[in-house]
Amino acid sequence: MLLLVGTVPIENLPLTYGRVHYQPDKLTIGDYVLEGQYVTLGTAAMISSASATCQAIGADAPYALVMGDTGMGEGTMKILKYLTEELNNLAPSVVTLHYILPTREQFMNFVNTAHKMDKRPFLIADAGALLNAKAVKMAPQFDLFTPDPGELSFLADPDAAHPAYVQHFIFSVDQTEVPRLSKDAYDHGDAPRYMIVKAPVDHVVVEGKTVATINDPNVPTMEPIGGTGDTITGEVSALISSGMDVVEACIAACKINRTTGELVQPAPDTTIAQFIPFIGEAAKKVLGK
Amino acid sequence: MPEEEKDKALIVFDYIYHAMRAKPVLEEAGIKANEVAPPVEYRTGCDLAVEIDATDVDAAEDILIEKGVMMLDILFMPKGSGFVPVYLTKLMKTVDYGGFVMVRCGNMKITYQKGSGKIVNISGGGCPDIPYLGMKLYGTIIGQGPKPRVLGKTICAYTLEHAYEKALEIFKKENKKGR
Repeated sequence: MLLLVGTVPIENLPLTYGRVHYQPDKLTIGDYVLEGQYVTLGTAAMISSASATCQAIGADAPYALVMGDTGMGEGTMKILKYLTEELNNLAPSVVTLHYILPTREQFMNFVNTAHKMDKRPFLIADAGALLNAKAVKMAPQFDLFTPDPGELSFLADPDAAHPAYVQHFIFSVDQTEVPRLSKDAYDHGDAPRYMIVKAPVDHVVVEGKTVATINDPNVPTMEPIGGTGDTITGEVSALISSGMDVVEACIAACKINRTTGELVQPAPDTTIAQFIPFIGEAAKKVLGK
Repeated sequence: MPEEEKDKALIVFDYIYHAMRAKPVLEEAGIKANEVAPPVEYRTGCDLAVEIDATDVDAAEDILIEKGVMMLDILFMPKGSGFVPVYLTKLMKTVDYGGFVMVRCGNMKITYQKGSGKIVNISGGGCPDIPYLGMKLYGTIIGQGPKPRVLGKTICAYTLEHAYEKALEIFKKENKKGR
């Protein structure tokens, strides 16, 4: 079972757990229905993307654990507490952590609990969870990170507490910088075994070494669109939980996202809400379904 | 003659929301303050601390309490502790997409429409307030709507504020030229 975890910026959204179903104008999580702009906001974009991918490949529907949080961390704390206490009962095979406010104790408790399970879930982190894992020195306890170049620069800088403190940022991502920074991050224990570096040329990295690059189709206008990184995380989570080999899933997720861009033909003012409805078609095209 | 190095103190916070408000409050009270990364044992992944001269600690504590800025701790640091400053002004990049301009600062990006100044996209970041800021800022006119620093509560929002200010600067220059 795939469990997608994160906050949604709706102040009165209670702690909600349940099966997920995405439709272009509606995202259902258990008994809770997100509508309008909330369907594709932050963690919801990742959840919608995972659900759309699962539907396209005929995989079991994912589950999600969400709560409202606009930045003060209350939702984050309750999510991590619930997750830590219930992880053994929920018994997910894959857990993806997304938009959360970085914390120390609660986050470390969750990771330690996951590692004590008889059958540990495959752990994926993106967004705030990725920053958190590196800051508390727990990156190697995860299986997959999905950083963008800014987040990779942060992982590769052993002294940086946040991307805002990175001393050498990479803006022009090329074939040299991503592999070098990926290796640096892995060598000093700030990266997990697998990474997808989401960039103009996507890189799939295993134990610090680049094993694949994906640059086709190339849709440069995807970069300004908030959420196009979140969708890759949802797509790869769905593919891994379906049983696909991890590296194959990483490569396929990059291709699905790019193919979605090709189908959408976005402008810089295209929204992620206009992008996600095409993920299913792109997944079928890439995977030959 | 170079200024003699002074003993320093570091103010650390539970919430970035308070850390982001500390420097303007201290500077308004005439206390010199620098925003820096806190020591490793205080880090969570979303951190900002404020460095002041050790001699200013009592005055700083008084004014922060008075203004409702909640501190976690004040640490007295030896000379030459060398905290990592925020490098945001060095982390700027601008991309022109024809009818739109994207400004990237660190891990945060903001895109606005030329001419109208309408904010059309916000990307990057990982803390819960970023999607919230996106919701509040989309469709507003840069310089006229809400600002990330006012609504945001995390260092990603603080970074976005720098991108926003740079975008506003470019937008104003474009408009001046166009007249």
